[in-house]
Amino acid sequence: MLDTAPVRRKLVEVQGLRMYFPITAGLLRRKVGDVKAVDNVSFDIYEGETLGLVGESGCGKSTCGRVILRLYDPTGGSIRIEGREIADAAQSDLRDIRPTMQMVFQDPQASLNPRMTVAAIIGEPLDEHTTLSKAEKLARIYELMDAVGLNRNYANRYPHEFSGGQRQRIGIARALALNPKFVVCDEPIAALDVSIQAQVVNLLEELQDRLGLTYLFISHDLSMVRHIADRVAVMYLGKIVELAPRDDLYLRPLHPYTQALLSAVPEPDPELETQRRRIILKGDVPSPANPPKGCNFCTRCPKVMDICRTVDPAFREVEPGRFTACHLFSQSNETAGQTAAAEARQSIQQGV
Amino acid sequence: MPDGASPVLDVKGLKTVFRTRGGEVHAVNSVSFDLKPGELLGVVGESGSGKSVTMMSLIGLLPSPPADVRAGEVLFGGTDLLRCPEEQLRAVRGGEIGFIFQDPMTSLNPVFTVGFQIMEPLRKHMGMDKAAARQRAQELLKLVGIPDARRRLDDYPHQFSGGMRQRVMIAIALACDPKVLIADEPTTALDVTIQAQILELVRELRRKLGMAIVWITHDLGVIAGIADRVIVMYGGQIVEQAPVNELFHRPRHPYTRALLKTIPSVRGQREAKLNVIEGQPPILVAAPSACSFRARCPHAFDRCARENPARRPVGPGHDVACFWDPAPGAADA
Repeated sequence: MLDTAPVRRKLVEVQGLRMYFPITAGLLRRKVGDVKAVDNVSFDIYEGETLGLVGESGCGKSTCGRVILRLYDPTGGSIRIEGREIADAAQSDLRDIRPTMQMVFQDPQASLNPRMTVAAIIGEPLDEHTTLSKAEKLARIYELMDAVGLNRNYANRYPHEFSGGQRQRIGIARALALNPKFVVCDEPIAALDVSIQAQVVNLLEELQDRLGLTYLFISHDLSMVRHIADRVAVMYLGKIVELAPRDDLYLRPLHPYTQALLSAVPEPDPELETQRRRIILKGDVPSPANPPKGCNFCTRCPKVMDICRTVDPAFREVEPGRFTACHLFSQSNETAGQTAAAEARQSIQQGV
Repeated sequence: MPDGASPVLDVKGLKTVFRTRGGEVHAVNSVSFDLKPGELLGVVGESGSGKSVTMMSLIGLLPSPPADVRAGEVLFGGTDLLRCPEEQLRAVRGGEIGFIFQDPMTSLNPVFTVGFQIMEPLRKHMGMDKAAARQRAQELLKLVGIPDARRRLDDYPHQFSGGMRQRVMIAIALACDPKVLIADEPTTALDVTIQAQILELVRELRRKLGMAIVWITHDLGVIAGIADRVIVMYGGQIVEQAPVNELFHRPRHPYTRALLKTIPSVRGQREAKLNVIEGQPPILVAAPSACSFRARCPHAFDRCARENPARRPVGPGHDVACFWDPAPGAADA
């Protein structure tokens, strides 16, 4: 979308973000370790773009989205929204910034209060942050309901009277009530049926075009992210392993994990399925409380080298706009990196 | 896929109704299908389309009340499972028909070891003694790709990861060499890389063991990769049935066609805008008297509101419950 725009303003800048949850033991709840849910993550989100954040369950993608909105207090690092540092801002200061950053939650069943009417749910942010009169508020609620495709006549109904897709529309209307600039969508379609998912994704895209929203779209659904995102970040065990413009990432993934992840997605075409080359990863994701030494992916990586088991690869720009954390692409291994890239290209051509 | 062989499972006119306080819910309406020896039949549909309830009805797994299997017959090896005594049914369940459920977290008993849970059907159905059952359980764990099988038998379910637990579920389902394996969304709760492992395992087990499988899913990508034949369910009915290539390349029912167009791909062409099926799935408060897809169908005409279309053949092994005929040559429109 913004590919043609010459100057892109950074709306969100995340630097070295860490979110550790303590593991306690014993009667005195002594701290014995950390679950490193988000470990040294850095990325920017440009105004008006959609950054897709993908990864498997437990990789820390949802935690990452929540920390950026300061729903958790980060262990370290910096989060800047429109240039304002919020990583260590006091709650009272955060309140002023909250209207610019909102969230759409995964489970529309659990994120809507069953005892509140739709109008009350959508109107709650307005009560908290604005001084609108009753009539103005109602007008705004109707406007929001129209925007997300809900019938105005249903304003006094309760969440249980709606289907899953409609409930997600209520959640979106609530997130938009205060005209935010930045919206974190945390698996907004995971709980919905296939035919309803497309409706919600189209709505999110339409609202983005109309209101100039910036999204962080968190999902495990690689095909939906390919559809909605401009750039995509892939997380594995608390770290971003690759960040690239969407088409580059899907056509020519660099990191071995991204390659395996993409090859694992089944193709809805039986003929392609019989020819497709799959990379089957061995084993499971290690525990984030006890990550392996060196590269987090070294226990499952099909291209693992000796260095991977000792040195954690740095997350760096390997091609313009393309970042990855892998020793195949580190400077001392320049030739190895090129071979790997060529190999990646080849495997994708064979794969499709 | 063996063609023309007599089916191992033959379901005719199955009807299941749930009695609720708000009235009756017609979850399954006159569903008929068969399963050939050794084939993998994919069952596709959205939540509430009746795919799980159909399979649970077959082997009497639904609690009654509220469920009421009102009509139909389920022929398995010459007996009608809907009319045979509970005792006989119990011998079939877990014995000749294995079942894998969606959620490996809740379908294993947390207070028994995995070994005990695999040995249970072996001792009940096959009459094995403890030592023989343990030996067989160890073989089964090895078969489903769990390393260090002998030691793992004494572990509890919480000591296994999600993918490993699903492998244990598969081992239990395979314990008594079933003729039929019913898998209800077995990979839905798993991550894609783990799903890829399980799909690879199922392909391998089919080559080795050759049982017939019913695979319920909402994921058309999974179906494309493993099924021989597919039935599509909508509103408690089968709306289309076809061999897998035929279904993906020449879908006939407007619902199937729309469904195939709504899913984006990670490969190939990227669509600028996703295709959408407008509207909501039907609420099944009454037995259908008209086509249940007509409100969302772009091709609906007056007849669709008057009668419920019966399934009619449109090609070899391909039938569809729809009055509409696509114009010749416009198969992919």
